[in-house]
Amino acid sequence: MLEINSIRKSYAKTTALDNVSLKVNQGETVVIMGPSGCGKSTLIRCINRLTEPDSGEILVHGQNILELSDSELMEFRRRVGFVFQQFHLIGRLTVLENVMFHLVLAGADRSWAEKRAAEALEKVGLSGVHSRKPEELSGGQQQRVAIARALAAGPELMLWDEPTASLDPILVWEVLEVMEELVRTSSTTMIIVTHEVSFALRVADRIVLMDHGRIVEEGHPTSVFADPISEIGIKYKKLLAS
Amino acid sequence: MFSFFRDGFYKDFVVLLILTILLGTVFSAGIAWALDAYFGDTLNEMIGEYGQYDIILHIQEDAKEAAFRELERIQEQQFPGARLSETISLAGQANFFFGLPEEFRTKETMTNLASYFAAVPGLTGHTIISDPSLLIRNVHGSVADVLAEKIEQIPGVRFTFPDVGNIIVLLEEPSLSRTVEAQVNQLIDEYQLVELRFPMGFEVDTQQVGAQAIQVLKETLPGRKYSNVTAAQYGEDLNAFLKTLVEMRDFLMSYASKVRITADPEAHLIIGEQIAIQADGAAPLKEGGLLTDENVVIEITAVSGGTAEGMIIRGEIAPSMESLKQTGYRVFSDGQIARPIGEVEVENERYRLAYAIDESLRLLEELEVLSVQAADAVDNADAVLNTFQEALLQLEVLQVQMRQLNEGIAGGGSASSEQLLMSLLINGLFQSLAQAAMQAGENSLDSLENLDVAAMRASLEQISSQIANVQSIDVQAIIRQIQYVRDTLPMLGDEEIGRSIRLINTYIAGQVIPGERIQILVEEGSVDEGQVEKLLREHLDNPYLNIYSTSVGVINPDARSEIIRLLTEVRAIIAGLLAVVFTSAIMILDHSTLFSTLKYLKRAGKEKVSRWKRLLDPVYILGGILGAVILGAVYSLSGAQIPYMSLSSITLIGLIIGILVACFAERFSPVNAKEVMAGQALGLSNVQIMREIVIPSSRPGLMNFLNRWKQQF
Ligand SMILES: Nc1ncnc2c1ncn2[C@@H]1O[C@H](COP(=O)(O)OP(=O)(O)OP(=O)(O)O)[C@@H](O)[C@H]1O
Ligand SMILES: [Mg+2]
Repeated sequence: MLEINSIRKSYAKTTALDNVSLKVNQGETVVIMGPSGCGKSTLIRCINRLTEPDSGEILVHGQNILELSDSELMEFRRRVGFVFQQFHLIGRLTVLENVMFHLVLAGADRSWAEKRAAEALEKVGLSGVHSRKPEELSGGQQQRVAIARALAAGPELMLWDEPTASLDPILVWEVLEVMEELVRTSSTTMIIVTHEVSFALRVADRIVLMDHGRIVEEGHPTSVFADPISEIGIKYKKLLAS
Repeated sequence: MFSFFRDGFYKDFVVLLILTILLGTVFSAGIAWALDAYFGDTLNEMIGEYGQYDIILHIQEDAKEAAFRELERIQEQQFPGARLSETISLAGQANFFFGLPEEFRTKETMTNLASYFAAVPGLTGHTIISDPSLLIRNVHGSVADVLAEKIEQIPGVRFTFPDVGNIIVLLEEPSLSRTVEAQVNQLIDEYQLVELRFPMGFEVDTQQVGAQAIQVLKETLPGRKYSNVTAAQYGEDLNAFLKTLVEMRDFLMSYASKVRITADPEAHLIIGEQIAIQADGAAPLKEGGLLTDENVVIEITAVSGGTAEGMIIRGEIAPSMESLKQTGYRVFSDGQIARPIGEVEVENERYRLAYAIDESLRLLEELEVLSVQAADAVDNADAVLNTFQEALLQLEVLQVQMRQLNEGIAGGGSASSEQLLMSLLINGLFQSLAQAAMQAGENSLDSLENLDVAAMRASLEQISSQIANVQSIDVQAIIRQIQYVRDTLPMLGDEEIGRSIRLINTYIAGQVIPGERIQILVEEGSVDEGQVEKLLREHLDNPYLNIYSTSVGVINPDARSEIIRLLTEVRAIIAGLLAVVFTSAIMILDHSTLFSTLKYLKRAGKEKVSRWKRLLDPVYILGGILGAVILGAVYSLSGAQIPYMSLSSITLIGLIIGILVACFAERFSPVNAKEVMAGQALGLSNVQIMREIVIPSSRPGLMNFLNRWKQQF
């Protein structure tokens, strides 16, 4: 469903993406891994154009999303759920509002949206906190609210940018559990950026390893971690062994 | 980025802009108005409400009570129903307002208003404050009546009345003051006062020279009406001062050394030229040489034929009774000696004066001693005369006795040798006693007797009384007085005197002090000052003549209108400053949120923007326009007016404020990037991001307030 063709992105001093191409099939769960600063976030943000690539194309169902008009882009983004490392909840809204407001703004009926939001919150295990403010929740709970928000619109593609990286280690598992559950039960295509190797091993249909703005290795998790060809792959193998 | 506005945000934006401007106007104009009202009230307390009073009477503070009683009396008896109130005291002066009831506000009463108060104790002056009115100051006496009459013809003018050199024009309505002022100005402009000023020292017959000047003007600049309206001269103080200066100059001139020059036929001396003489200088002057300090320089002050007069302007001549006669040489200003011009004779007047005084003092001292001696002499002479008379008597007796003795000796016939010897002895004795008399002849003793001793005594007595007269004079007092005069004579050298005279001359001849003046009234047209000056200098043969053209009166807004106008100005300035403050504040506090978000949204993804392109950033342009529009509109709507600032420069300031706020928008209102990014990722439009995410969590303000109606969460 998704086809990224040789995109490049460079900032003033660094080249974040250097001729990256990637194909993702419908329903597939792709885990992108790589050392810090290798361009993972840039890549995943390019997919919903939170970052504009300098060149290349990104085809979704054959449509180059880099050519979308403003309203088409909005429309596209509504179908793509995005989970940020740092949750990015709206501080002044309640948990329920955070999960439903974009549905209403997209034109949905308010009560319907409320129902959808409640369902999404139930899915992430947060039924009793509807009227709380994000700041009253733990990091893990906040991230689950963010996941619920992404889920509420029923996305066909979900992009995860290190959803557990800024969490207290003892809270990581509750988020990973929710994610694993989601991967298992839904047919949504997922692209997950994470450093959780064992998690990747469990959920990924495919592992993509990046280094210095390039994809250096990709394949089935067992083959990648068992028999890596890239420097990074070898490092991950060692990490896994220990 | 401007998709933003396309998505319907522009409506919110326009509403925001309009409300911002309205709020700004209310804010600026309101505060300014409140200040104005406050000052206005204070002002009314100080100078009375508009049109309520006619005159302010200035009274010495200590006579205040008495004055108030008298004013109350005038109020009761002369102007029943008049308003009287005391206002602030300033500089030892109390001030009272007096307002006439409407029925007393007539030309007649107003003309004589001051005289009604003449007897108020401690009155030091008055100020007419009738309103609505116009004040025409410095109205020339020659046109005052005509002008007043013409002004009274102007519609809207009730009447006029004079007040010490001014004309006060009372109007029917305050609103008419502009139109009446314009018409009065027109009337004033129909006249022109041309003043001919002569330097001091020119004794001008104002009538004759005036007529002469008018004649010249009529011939060369025809078509106007000219009349001589020369008014009374300048203030007495100035005249006295100038007279003193002239006296001083004359005194100095008589005190300076007299210089007479007998010029060689070909010398052609002119006034102002400088001549040098050797004076006490070591070496004689030589053509082509240089002057030394001992040489004396003379300036020529008068020339007639072959002789000239001058005064010393450098150096001193020796103190001497003798006049100094030396050859004079022309000198150049650099001290170089030129050709000889003839003989110069210098008399040291000051030395002569001092010498004469010293001599008189000596004489007086001698006189005193002399009178004492003379008195003694007369007394002695009297005693001598007495002795002489006595002696004469004795001599006569002796003569008789001798004759008898002689006869006795001779008559006896038988004279003994002792008798003969005796006779010889007596004769000899007698001879030595009165030798001269005896020699003179036989009757010598008789001639002695013939001396008129009485007459001699009489003349002696006369002398004695004259001497007494002399002695009765207080010679010492005279001496003291003369010494005083001598001591107080100016210790001035010739050089100082010469320079002083020159200074006084330039001062009284200069243009600083007006000399005689002639005033010519020009009607039915006007003349050019410069042209007239050139013309009259030539025709009246006086290069020092100055011409000034003035108007016959000056319209002065009365003090109150002036203050009210000033207050209005102050209000306008305050409103202007408030408009600037408001614009800056609203942009920093409110609109900066908009700018920072716009900048963030625009930048998302596109990092590579060159510095120069950044300057052309549409956000800055938007900021500039917003600032210009808000400030420009608030400024003009609130009636603000900052001196020397046109609306365009104010708009420019707005533009700069707007650009600056846009530049530093993130500092004033940082963007919550996480929330905005979430909004983007969730597929919200920029407008929705603005309404639902950015503005609701921004600072409370107008934008925040207006957004509530649009906000869904
Ligand atoms: N907004 C930006 N401006 C300038 N450079 C940037 C920006 N965002 C990312 N980069 C640079 O681009 C490179 C790739 O960054 P990116 O965030 O994609 O890395 P990452 O793989 O996600 O790293 P991490 O694991 O730390 O999240 C890095 O060198 C980073 O410094
Ligand atoms: Mg990252």
